[in-house]
Amino acid sequence: MSDMYAYLWLIPTLPLLASAATALLGPKVLRQHSHWPCVLAVAGSCVLAVLAFAQSYGHEHAHSHLYFTLFQAGQVHVDFALRGDSLTQIMLVMVTFIGTLIAIFAAGYMDGDPGYPRFFASVALFIAAMTLLVLGDNLVLLYAGWEGVGLCSYLLIGFWFTKPAAADAARKAFLVTRIGDAGFMLGILLVWASFGYHLDYDGIFREVQRQYDAGQLDPNLIFWVCFLLFCGAAGKSAQFPLHVWLPDAMEGPTPVSALIHAATMVTAGVYLVARFTPLFVLSPGAQLLVASIGGFTALFAALIALTQNDLKRVLAYSTLSQLGYMFLALGSAVREEGGSKANTLTTFAVAAALFHLFTHAFFKALLFLSAGSVMHAMGNVIDMRRFGGLRKVLPHTHWTFLCGALALAGVPLLSGFWSKDEILDATYEASHTHGAYSGFYLLLFAAGLVTAALTAFYTFRVYFMTFWGELRVPPEAGQHGDDAHGHHEPAAHRQRDVEPHHPPGQGQAHESPYLMTVPLMVLAVFALFVGIVLGPLTGNSFAHFLQETLTHEPYGFGEIPHAMNFAMMGVSSVLALGGIALAYYFYVAQPLLPRKLATQMQSLYQLSLNKFYIDELYQAIFLKPLHAVTRFAKTLDQYGIDSVVDLIGQTPRLLGGLFQPVQNGLVQYYALTMMVGLVVFLIALIRNL
Amino acid sequence: MIGIPLHHYLVVGAVLFCLGLIGFLTRRNLIIMFLCAEMMLQGVAINLVAFARFRGNLQGQAFTLFILTVAACEAAIALALILMLFKRRGSLDVSLWQDLREAGQEENVDEEPLPTAPTAVPDPVLTPSGLEPAHRQETTHV
Repeated sequence: MSDMYAYLWLIPTLPLLASAATALLGPKVLRQHSHWPCVLAVAGSCVLAVLAFAQSYGHEHAHSHLYFTLFQAGQVHVDFALRGDSLTQIMLVMVTFIGTLIAIFAAGYMDGDPGYPRFFASVALFIAAMTLLVLGDNLVLLYAGWEGVGLCSYLLIGFWFTKPAAADAARKAFLVTRIGDAGFMLGILLVWASFGYHLDYDGIFREVQRQYDAGQLDPNLIFWVCFLLFCGAAGKSAQFPLHVWLPDAMEGPTPVSALIHAATMVTAGVYLVARFTPLFVLSPGAQLLVASIGGFTALFAALIALTQNDLKRVLAYSTLSQLGYMFLALGSAVREEGGSKANTLTTFAVAAALFHLFTHAFFKALLFLSAGSVMHAMGNVIDMRRFGGLRKVLPHTHWTFLCGALALAGVPLLSGFWSKDEILDATYEASHTHGAYSGFYLLLFAAGLVTAALTAFYTFRVYFMTFWGELRVPPEAGQHGDDAHGHHEPAAHRQRDVEPHHPPGQGQAHESPYLMTVPLMVLAVFALFVGIVLGPLTGNSFAHFLQETLTHEPYGFGEIPHAMNFAMMGVSSVLALGGIALAYYFYVAQPLLPRKLATQMQSLYQLSLNKFYIDELYQAIFLKPLHAVTRFAKTLDQYGIDSVVDLIGQTPRLLGGLFQPVQNGLVQYYALTMMVGLVVFLIALIRNL
Repeated sequence: MIGIPLHHYLVVGAVLFCLGLIGFLTRRNLIIMFLCAEMMLQGVAINLVAFARFRGNLQGQAFTLFILTVAACEAAIALALILMLFKRRGSLDVSLWQDLREAGQEENVDEEPLPTAPTAVPDPVLTPSGLEPAHRQETTHV
């Protein structure tokens, strides 16, 4: 079946049209119905993506479809070609499906906000850019989508731009990812220049393989190519040195955090590295870099998440940590020293990363949306110390959050369990290959195990703090739903400005409307069962679908073995359940214990609470010197360059001042001046004659 | 005619021009200044006509016709302009318009006051015989 490829272009186009329609008609015509174009278009894209998936599943199919040539100049040849292999289709189905659910949820969540049309125009634009990113068959289209999602991320983080924190967070996100994107751009240029001026994936991979087979491939070159591409991936996916923007990005509306900063955009980096696996496997050094950055970020973010008090920030650090897991798996896709290209571990590790990406998208989106539901009920209070025991007040949200938390913690048989287990397995396998760095992978494996336990602990810390214990509701609760239509200011601002109208009490906190809870329930079902249905227990259909691409040209890795590592499952189950039990002991059985521990280990606690002072470090290392340079430049400009410019401006003014008195307003003087001038002119004329 | 050499005409033209120039520079009444400017034009025109006569072609005369045409147009515009200026300030004194000078310049003030215009002798009014005819009160500012 190849006819579906002719319609692939509709998948990004529909949301793009919806975005344009909402932007043009939203404020005047659509108003409170502005969500319709976005929801319908994204749902339409989802249907198309599922259809394409259904048609290609189990069939041999062509990889890409060429529509037309975008531009061609000399050695640069860029086609508008979309790719529909299994890697893309997995991303596509995931992005459009979760996008649809989140758009529906947002219709309830954002109700009454003055920027309602703007929100849905941005979301639709985001979906268009994201689908273009995964569909593009060459680096230029990928980069176009890449920058598009970056722009939408900026617009949506700063959605409530009158709030300084949100505006700062948006700028920070844009600038930090820009650092990575600069590397990515250089990487694209280096790939283009080094590998036969190809920009399409097939051409690049074939050329790399040809050079490798001919022994012409410079190991340093391939390392730097991979390094630069990984720069872009690390920026977009918020890996360690560039991770600082993601927690701040939680200033955006919660559906945005769920869609962009948990499920889809931040996984673009994982997609990029997975897409370029054929390059990465050729450079063990680059793979070690990817794996260590991933493993380090996983552990580092999990440690920070332990002590945060902001519900959404814990989830943000958890996202960092899980993305770190994915990179750990991608970096573990090593091949044996001197081994053939048909390496099974590579396929296995990439499939593990993508599987975790897939399951993580569901349960993390679920957790964020549930957190949004809690915020909605609590009048936008997000500090977990200010509420608690919401089990009875928010029954639906409680159950859906629990589903997401169980899946994230890796409780046996739920989706997070399978994917995380495969990642640990892949890392363990990587430490047993005969590569140069196998010992280091054992270390990363240990970090992964610790992170698994920490994940379970911090997830259930959040869960118990929010939903268990004594019922506590902040006085702001209930304002969002009741007064949303009366106020013409963003809901997030209201909590500071408006005195509570109602006496505090649980009567004001109410469950969210069905428009919001139904998407939560759908996501909860997927978060629980997607792992068991697609995972290793029932034939590993996800990995098999993915390896249709990975085992074929131009990837050509080996097939995945049908073996389950039961020992690994046992260990990770024990870790997950142990983490949950510890969280129960700390936050339900002995609620005073955490504070006592925090005072005992004050320095460690402060380190984690202040995010290891990374922001302060960047402030001191990068921003302070930069400020000094700008101050110097400002002084130079003001007193050096400006004075020269002023001098040039002053000269005509002084000259003009000499002749100014002539213009005294008396016509006779003017005539006299003319006369004198004429006489002088005539005398000069006569004297010359 | 033949007996009058060229420089006589040129002297007359120069005298006319200088009289006009002096009048233009010294008088403050807009209408007088305008007439002086006309006189300068005529001085130039005499030059042209005289040269045309003595060179034996018609170029100078044709040019003079143009000067007369332009002077007529100029008269129309200048008188209309003077009318408007008079309506604004209620006087024909050109020095009343010196506030159009460059910003920051001192104003020129007359050291001795202008001689006051002789008060107009009112027209003799005849005692109406019979009924006074109804007439509109007409106000003009000219």
